[in-house]
Amino acid sequence: MRRTEIAVRTEGLTKRFGELVAVDHVDFEIPTGTIASLLGPNGAGKTTMVRMLATLARPTGGSATVFGHDVVGEPDAVRAAIALTGQFAGLEPNLTAKENLILIARLRGHGRRSAARIVERLIDRVDIGEFAGTPIKSVSGGQRRRADLAATLVSEPRLLVLDEPTTGLDPRSRQVVWSTVRELVASGVTVLLTTQSREEADQLADHIVVMDHGRAVAAGTPAQLKAQIGDQRVDVVLLDQAAFVVLSSALETWFSCSADPDRRTISVPAPRGAADLMAVTEVIASAGVSAEEVALRRPTLDDTFLALTGVPAEGDKAEEQIEVPA
Amino acid sequence: MSAVAALRIGPIEPLPPRPARPIRFVRETLVLVGRSLRAIPRVPERLSDVTIQPIVFTLLFLYVFGSAIHIPGVRYQDYLLPGLLGQSLAFGVIGAGTATVTDFTEGVIDRFRSLPVTRLAVISAQVAGQVIEQVLGISIIVAIGIGLGWRPHLAVASGFELAGLMLFGLVAFTWFGVLLGMLMRSSDAVQGLGFAIVVPLSFLGGTFVPIQGMQVVPRVIGEWDPLSAIVAAVRQVTQGIHSQGSWQLTHPIAAMVGWCALLTAICVPLALHRFRANEGG
Ligand SMILES: Nc1ncnc2c1ncn2[C@@H]1O[C@H](COP(=O)(O)OP(=O)(O)O)[C@@H](O)[C@H]1O
Ligand SMILES: [Mg+2]
Repeated sequence: MRRTEIAVRTEGLTKRFGELVAVDHVDFEIPTGTIASLLGPNGAGKTTMVRMLATLARPTGGSATVFGHDVVGEPDAVRAAIALTGQFAGLEPNLTAKENLILIARLRGHGRRSAARIVERLIDRVDIGEFAGTPIKSVSGGQRRRADLAATLVSEPRLLVLDEPTTGLDPRSRQVVWSTVRELVASGVTVLLTTQSREEADQLADHIVVMDHGRAVAAGTPAQLKAQIGDQRVDVVLLDQAAFVVLSSALETWFSCSADPDRRTISVPAPRGAADLMAVTEVIASAGVSAEEVALRRPTLDDTFLALTGVPAEGDKAEEQIEVPA
Repeated sequence: MSAVAALRIGPIEPLPPRPARPIRFVRETLVLVGRSLRAIPRVPERLSDVTIQPIVFTLLFLYVFGSAIHIPGVRYQDYLLPGLLGQSLAFGVIGAGTATVTDFTEGVIDRFRSLPVTRLAVISAQVAGQVIEQVLGISIIVAIGIGLGWRPHLAVASGFELAGLMLFGLVAFTWFGVLLGMLMRSSDAVQGLGFAIVVPLSFLGGTFVPIQGMQVVPRVIGEWDPLSAIVAAVRQVTQGIHSQGSWQLTHPIAAMVGWCALLTAICVPLALHRFRANEGG
């Protein structure tokens, strides 16, 4: 059983396109039944990485196994275990969702009847019945993604690989994709998903590999990654400039805090969490100023991402970037 | 989407035992060709790519320039339509190329390739589907041509000869188109390059006027233009018109078979190689 405990293992996995090193000696493991995420900006090498795992691109160095099968040496065994949803939906646009699903089931080797039964159930399961009879080219982006996800499930894969499954989706479709992914994992599937969104990685993944310029620059659980960026802190936002000046000098006698006059915000390191929050509120009370906001803040994955890659990732607000230690 | 219902999408549908490779190849190719056939009626514009240009040329040359063109001993319809039929093979390159580039860039081919499907089946189906689509296009041209007064003189034997030649030509040019589609990054690029190659070759190849009447430079090119052999071959089979000039024009059927065999011999290995190499990138 040792073979099946690890779903994916890469060792020094590398892919060169001429001079460009798209994936540079990446090592990682995905335990069976977990969600792993490759997080990185555009061009980080995420797609190249998953294409190698799905046997669509041949590594130029290192090795990768899927459920113990080498992606180069035993591609058929890998293909039988894995299902990939590409960054660009791999569906025939002129066929309906249902016809696409049947096509895939037939290509898997199922007969007509058995394919039809599988597809009926899938349409129910992923809840795409309302548009299953419309040609893919005429459905919305979110619907297309869901059809694509259904297509990925035809093979009841053991490893589901999703390349940027929610990029460009509206929040509701994104939620649908997320909940589907969670359910799949609950039933024992292993998931590898790539994303540019820290929120998505944070929400879904058990294990995150942050990629940048082909390299794995950090890896760990969301909590571990956040811890790398430093500790939690208390942020105090004041109403007016006078109060800001008074309070920053008051707080500075007690804490090694940093003050940002432009935003009238004072940041106090809070390694003890709530206890530090209480201490800060006491100082505010005794200084006799009124604060607009006092909050205990944990570093987000956004902070980690920016600190590691130097790239303001998708959806970041400008103010969040200012707070990140350089 | 129900709460914690597991992935299990229902009772297990057991896969039938995996047949031997050649049987799998045939089965997978048929399933994939089925996909192309289903798509045809939903994209009528793709068929029109193949048919509009010959129709426009037919009308233009028949009713606009036709009165200025006199070919001794033949009605112009009977000269022009076999020509259009021959050159339409070459225009098939553009259709096959655009369809292929779209399939590759939109991820459809990636999906097929990530399934346990024979590689050769994916590319064979691509060619077969395109050939069938072109056959439909050519049938439309034939029907319109007959409507406009074209009268082919076909006995049963020469009918089969024509069908065989056209089919061989289609397969050869479709492989060329599929190769082009794999080499280029966008359908615009395929169209641009395709038209740049095919249109001049078609005009020089004696589709519309006899090569013998051309100035020296175009005449020499035309006499060795592969399309001129094809056009002359179709004319010889359908109307019994024998062309004059270079060896390939006086032996057009042998020359056409030769050109198509050459094209196939070059494009098939390159396309297969490219299809595999694509896995590298
Ligand atoms: N087929 C290819 N040929 C050449 N360069 C490529 C190819 N595919 C990807 N690249 C390059 O490799 C790098 C990583 O790309 P990719 O894996 O698509 O990144 P991501 O999916 O993280 O956005 C990019 O610089 C990209 O331009
Ligand atoms: Mg990508």
